[in-house]
Amino acid sequence: MAFVMPTILFFLVFKYGPMLWAMGLSFTTYDMMKPPRWVGLENYESILRDPIFREALANTLVYIAGSTIFITLVGLGLALAINTRGPGRRACMSAMFLTNIMPILAVCLVWRFLFHPHGLLNQFLGPLGFGRLDWLTDSALAMPAIILVTVWRFAPYFMVVFLAGLLTIPPEYYEAAEIDGANAVRRFRYLTLPLLMPVTFFVVVVAALLSARIFLMPFIITGGGPGNATRVLSMLIYETGFSYMKMGRAAAISVVLFAIVMVLTLAQMRLFMRSEEEYS
Amino acid sequence: MRRRAMLHALSRWSGLAPLAALAFLFVLPIVWMTTTSFQAGEKMFQLTTEWIPSVWHPENYGNALSRSAFPRFFLNSAIVSASVMLGNVVFCTLAGYGLAKFRFPGDRLLLLVILSTLMLPLEVTLVPTFLVIHKLGWVNSYQGIAGPLLIDAFGVFLMRQFILKIPSDYLEAARIDGAGELRILRSIILPQCKAALAVLALFSFRDSWDQFLWPLVVVSRDEFRTYPLGLVRFGDDYGNPPTEQMAIAVLATLPVFLLFLVLQRALRKGFDLSAFKG
Amino acid sequence: MTNASSGPGVSRRQALTRIGALGAGATAVAATRTRGFAQPKAPITLSFWTFDNPQQRPWLHKRVNQYMEKNPNVKVDFQWFTFADLGKKVSVGYATGTAPDGFVTGDWLMPTWLARNLIAPLDVKLLGYPALDAFRKDHADAFVAGAIKDGQAYGYPLWFYGFCNYLNTKQFKEVGLDPVKDQPRTWTELGEVAKRLTIKQGNKFTRQGFKFAMHAAQWTMIQLNPIVSQVGGQWFDASGKCTINNEAGVKAMTIRASIARQYGAEDPADSIATFPLPQMDWLKERCSMFSCHPIPPVAIKSQNPVMESEGYFLPVQMAGVTADKRYTTCYGFNFVVNARAPKDKQEALHDMYRFIMSDLVDCWQATAPFTLARKTGWTDDPRVKSFPHVGEIIKAKDNGVFFPRTPIWTELADAMHRAVQKVMLNNADIKAALDEAAAEVDRATAEFKKA
Repeated sequence: MAFVMPTILFFLVFKYGPMLWAMGLSFTTYDMMKPPRWVGLENYESILRDPIFREALANTLVYIAGSTIFITLVGLGLALAINTRGPGRRACMSAMFLTNIMPILAVCLVWRFLFHPHGLLNQFLGPLGFGRLDWLTDSALAMPAIILVTVWRFAPYFMVVFLAGLLTIPPEYYEAAEIDGANAVRRFRYLTLPLLMPVTFFVVVVAALLSARIFLMPFIITGGGPGNATRVLSMLIYETGFSYMKMGRAAAISVVLFAIVMVLTLAQMRLFMRSEEEYS
Repeated sequence: MRRRAMLHALSRWSGLAPLAALAFLFVLPIVWMTTTSFQAGEKMFQLTTEWIPSVWHPENYGNALSRSAFPRFFLNSAIVSASVMLGNVVFCTLAGYGLAKFRFPGDRLLLLVILSTLMLPLEVTLVPTFLVIHKLGWVNSYQGIAGPLLIDAFGVFLMRQFILKIPSDYLEAARIDGAGELRILRSIILPQCKAALAVLALFSFRDSWDQFLWPLVVVSRDEFRTYPLGLVRFGDDYGNPPTEQMAIAVLATLPVFLLFLVLQRALRKGFDLSAFKG
Repeated sequence: MTNASSGPGVSRRQALTRIGALGAGATAVAATRTRGFAQPKAPITLSFWTFDNPQQRPWLHKRVNQYMEKNPNVKVDFQWFTFADLGKKVSVGYATGTAPDGFVTGDWLMPTWLARNLIAPLDVKLLGYPALDAFRKDHADAFVAGAIKDGQAYGYPLWFYGFCNYLNTKQFKEVGLDPVKDQPRTWTELGEVAKRLTIKQGNKFTRQGFKFAMHAAQWTMIQLNPIVSQVGGQWFDASGKCTINNEAGVKAMTIRASIARQYGAEDPADSIATFPLPQMDWLKERCSMFSCHPIPPVAIKSQNPVMESEGYFLPVQMAGVTADKRYTTCYGFNFVVNARAPKDKQEALHDMYRFIMSDLVDCWQATAPFTLARKTGWTDDPRVKSFPHVGEIIKAKDNGVFFPRTPIWTELADAMHRAVQKVMLNNADIKAALDEAAAEVDRATAEFKKA
């Protein structure tokens, strides 16, 4: 217990204190300059009626879903590709892992240039017949662009996690399956996938948590635009609180975001537990 | 027989080609950042990519560092991130040990409560956290920037999962021999945790190194500003070409990269055995 | 640039300042000034915040240091932030009791501070004026409109400026246009001229004729505001309802969109200004005309030395709907005093502000061509008069219309920025985009009233 004490104290002061304060604030109107005034559920009613909140909510869900799915698929794909016997695998892995080591701000600044209408990405895609894509200014492309950066940034990390999972599967299983005449697809479907289930669960939950908190990428790369195309809840919270000085309202949006993440995590837990049961 | 061996070798190497291509795609933006940092400022405005600069401009680095107080900003970032790394290594290990090897009422709940802070959006707690720091008299100080980052919920979880797998028999045996808890921690737990500690060290350093909003709120002097604040306002001055901004970005990548290299051996083990296996 | 080496210059400058003050007809002003600056008795520490800018911040810093040298009893804790962060830092400061004693604010934020009683009324006598009226008459209308409320002054102005249309005269001549004679006087002319200046290769603009800034809400407002008032539009009606979606608003936005949509002379999605400097495209000669605040020669030199040394640029008045309505937005910055600062600190700040602004020619030399709100004390100086194109730059300031004064400025600017993005980048219907923006602004107003 003594070992946990500093941590408990730390979390009380720096996390739970502020968190409860924020939750309390969500029932007040507070512009940071006059003392907060109690307004009950007014902030919640008001944000639910606000089209920008609804747009940001939809964007957040799309972003969470998009990045989680692609991070998981790309991460798993890369891990399977690395997990073959042969030279150079480790070097490739280390190289890809570098995307994770780059400071996030550098990531944003670099990609902003790469996405320019005449930038590197379009120079690559041009010869493939794509023409000019306005990545950051076309409302249909801006969110995919942000998801692309997210996957580029995080997939290699989860690749390593998947790889660790793959390495725990005893090679004898595969040998036995091969003797039974199972081809690669069946081996993946009936052996790798079920055994990787706990790892996949971990990846999905953590990737969703990460994406729910995304802030700097849309903040620096698109500023939430064009229009509201990439305005996610965390950005809306920041703007509402610090640009519009509506801390109570910002707190209410945070509580909603907190609830969403909580529900998502719990739902994922249930889903995965059930599928684990089916597999076993 | 030799043909078979050759075929085998061929298949081994041919598998590498698509993988290497993929890895290259992933690394491309980093390569672009690096070569651009040596590029002539004017090239950035011509919007044609010259991969290898025709003329190299290493002076971009010197020029970039002389803008604002970048050497100081980097030093500040390093001090803060090193403290955060140290704090996480110490406190997450302690907490992880406590949560993994001792039963007390509400221990599982405590873990959940700690983990739930991961779901909280940071933006709205900025002001109350600032109030706490202000009460402590830590505004405009290193401890002010580093304080709220000293223990990460995820780090606690990681260490707990890891220590959970160390057989309790060892600990019991040591206790019977009269070893104190701290000694057990030092001589039994820590040596077995090197890999997890490497993971924890790398990511707590990187996360602190990446911090932007919090230092923005808590610091208002160049004396304590960290490099992201300088990097974001880099373009505010006339005559700061983007090539120099890329030079700062490269310099900002280096410390994390070096830490990665130093920890690489331990990391490899860490990923083999990390938390999710439990 | 030490004081010793410029000794004679200083005395001449001070003499000129006094002549300027006398010129304003305020003998009393001169009388108070000769008395010198009051010396606070007890040691005092003032916290003072400002925004960062390569010319303006260093000059302020220099003046503050000079003030401290003269007043050993006063210590000033001088801090600065990016333009965008200053307002946020001050707000957090008020929330946590850590706001500075005095700070510099954009005048568009004056209603934000005033509506919450956060800034203190200024004693114009301590600033060297016999009464409010003399203070009022000595400053540009744009400043007065934002800083004087209920017979009291709340701000002491620094720089105020209008926008000029910066022309690349070399490119004008290239396509057979005379930059002076053929300078666009109306928006139609601007479209036609821009079209002639444009060079396109397939879907790539090698050169855009004219360019609107797309990168930030503040700039969206700066550039849209005059068009709205030129077509007779208003941001709000008397009841405070947002009227930007009425006929005039639609007309203004149609003009705003015409350079791209009708004349094909700009590509709103293509800018190299991924930096906060929207004038970068013009400086790099990727666009021929750009509506900008006064651009310091040192800035042109750093980005385009040839343009600076050969001088092939010309600021002229921005186009209007008709030739007699060629005005832009005028805005600027004020010194203000925290209402919660103790009385003695408030007084010391008055003294410091007055000292800082007591040498406007020095200010001009350090920050030219950023113009000042003060009408006297600098415009007659030969060093100001000889500055290239200074007449046009001062005229742009004097003719400028102000920003809408509203406590929900940020919400308004963000809503309009979104509307412009939708219209320019996603080809949205103008009326629909403005309807949405107006609804957003009205919601913000309703919430502000409730709070």
